[in-house]
Amino acid sequence: MTIILLGIVLFLANLFVGSVKIPFKEILDVLLKANKDNPLNTIILNYRLPQAVTALFAGSALAVSGLLMQTLFRNPLADPSMLGISSGASLGVGIVILLTGVISGSAVSSLGWWSTIGVSLAAFAGAVVVLFLILAFSSRTKNMTTLIIIGLMIAYIASSVTDILKFFSMKEDIHAFVIWGMGSFSNVGTERMTMLSISVIIGLLASFFLSKNLNVLLLGETYAENLGLNIKGNTLTIILISGYLTAIVTAYCGPIAFVGLAVPHIARFIFKSSDHRLLLPMTMLIGMDLALLCNVIARLPGFDGNLPINAVTAFIGAPIVIAVITKGNKVAK
Amino acid sequence: MQVLKTYYLSIGYANKIVASDIDISIDSGDLVALIGPNGAGKSTLFKTLSGHIKPVSGTIEINGENAENLTAKERAKMMSVVLTERPDDMFLTVCEIVASGRFPYLGMFGKLSGNDEKIVEESLEIIGIKHLSDRLFNTLSDGERQKVMIAKSIAQDTPIIFLDEPTAFLDYPSKIELFSILKRLATEQKKTIIFSSHDLELLLRYTDSLWVMGKQLPFIKGSCSELLENGKIQEYFNLQNIDNEYLTNRI
Repeated sequence: MTIILLGIVLFLANLFVGSVKIPFKEILDVLLKANKDNPLNTIILNYRLPQAVTALFAGSALAVSGLLMQTLFRNPLADPSMLGISSGASLGVGIVILLTGVISGSAVSSLGWWSTIGVSLAAFAGAVVVLFLILAFSSRTKNMTTLIIIGLMIAYIASSVTDILKFFSMKEDIHAFVIWGMGSFSNVGTERMTMLSISVIIGLLASFFLSKNLNVLLLGETYAENLGLNIKGNTLTIILISGYLTAIVTAYCGPIAFVGLAVPHIARFIFKSSDHRLLLPMTMLIGMDLALLCNVIARLPGFDGNLPINAVTAFIGAPIVIAVITKGNKVAK
Repeated sequence: MQVLKTYYLSIGYANKIVASDIDISIDSGDLVALIGPNGAGKSTLFKTLSGHIKPVSGTIEINGENAENLTAKERAKMMSVVLTERPDDMFLTVCEIVASGRFPYLGMFGKLSGNDEKIVEESLEIIGIKHLSDRLFNTLSDGERQKVMIAKSIAQDTPIIFLDEPTAFLDYPSKIELFSILKRLATEQKKTIIFSSHDLELLLRYTDSLWVMGKQLPFIKGSCSELLENGKIQEYFNLQNIDNEYLTNRI
């Protein structure tokens, strides 16, 4: 309950905080009365609202994706980037940003609007290629360690190819690529916001069907198999949903670090539970809260709305995780 | 009808046969101990019988039906396992673990019905750990954890239970308690229980029926006294030098 309230407060804070000061009453005016002449409409509806909505859905998607990975591999350090999916996305973006510059002779960043769409598509394509590679491998092995190593190797290959591309690229393009790599909730406009929300909601709904299987996986694979769980099929489904969520978010926002790793731990320690029927929805909500909080901080006056989100997620998130875990341990004793 | 029966069963992996010509036939209420030195293939036999790996050749029949034709769910309702590996999740409670035994019976979202909850509670009572129900699994002693995993098997409601070295990490009183629990499950609940163990002395005292595996030796079975008298146990465990009186007096 508190988590939902916190979410609402943070959402409003996201609309309120920014380089242009807008009184709270005006914001409510814009939201509640459809007054087309209000000059603040543009700032709030076209800029701040999509950003808040993006943060909300990206946060919950990454958090759930991280929870799925942590349970599947029963590894507390697992996160959405585990299987090389975000590295695949980076490579896709690298190819578009870095290579077109080399070929056409002009920086992609100069192409304007098309570059945003192109980057999203490239990221999604890269992520999906890696996702299918991983799925192909996972249908061949029951061994989770093998799978983790394959994922890591794919990530290394993708990032080394990216590095090679960087080596031959133009300075402006490399800069654009580095900025993309820092993640941002602000590149999603009003139209694309709907697309992102729908895509994420589909993935989140699908994840609810997994909670029963995730719970039994906590016992270990052999027990799970003895209880009638189809290990390979289940692994495939979990990777598919987790990878899908990561791919969507990375396509729209760049690789956002830390949220996927941290939020499942926060949820587990707050609720002292491993029951995924509780953990899944709570992870979604806490993921929303954390992403909104980070976005507010990234946008505090003085940062000019330009502070990269990855610089904030870990800086804010890590102390929260430490606090929650040490407090949780005290209670457990 | 025999609960579990095998015909000319060979077990092992693609390029290595561990044991062959295993003919087993057991009834409900039987308590059987599987013994043999390390590396004789006890775990492989367990994994094969419980369906985790395929037999190299031969057939396994469960309740008169070829095990190959069982779906994963049907199998999960016929055989449960208690392994040496334990769940290591931080926040799993005893009740949640035992309730996971109901997995093959649940609907899509895994909600326990009133009947499921009743079965979970009964399972905890049968093993005598109802007072531990809300405890975190991670905070229990080895003996208590072992009992929780057995309670999970009971909640799974299978006629056959396999236990892989259930006494391995237990102190002496816990071992004896465990044996008496297994015995009780066999006689009162009519469970067919097959377990492996290295506690030879205790086995001779608490079980009637033994399966013996050895390296490069054929699979044999029989009652404890039989196998001691014909010197088979001594042979399989290299105990020929030990005074026969010492072992037989133990029974």
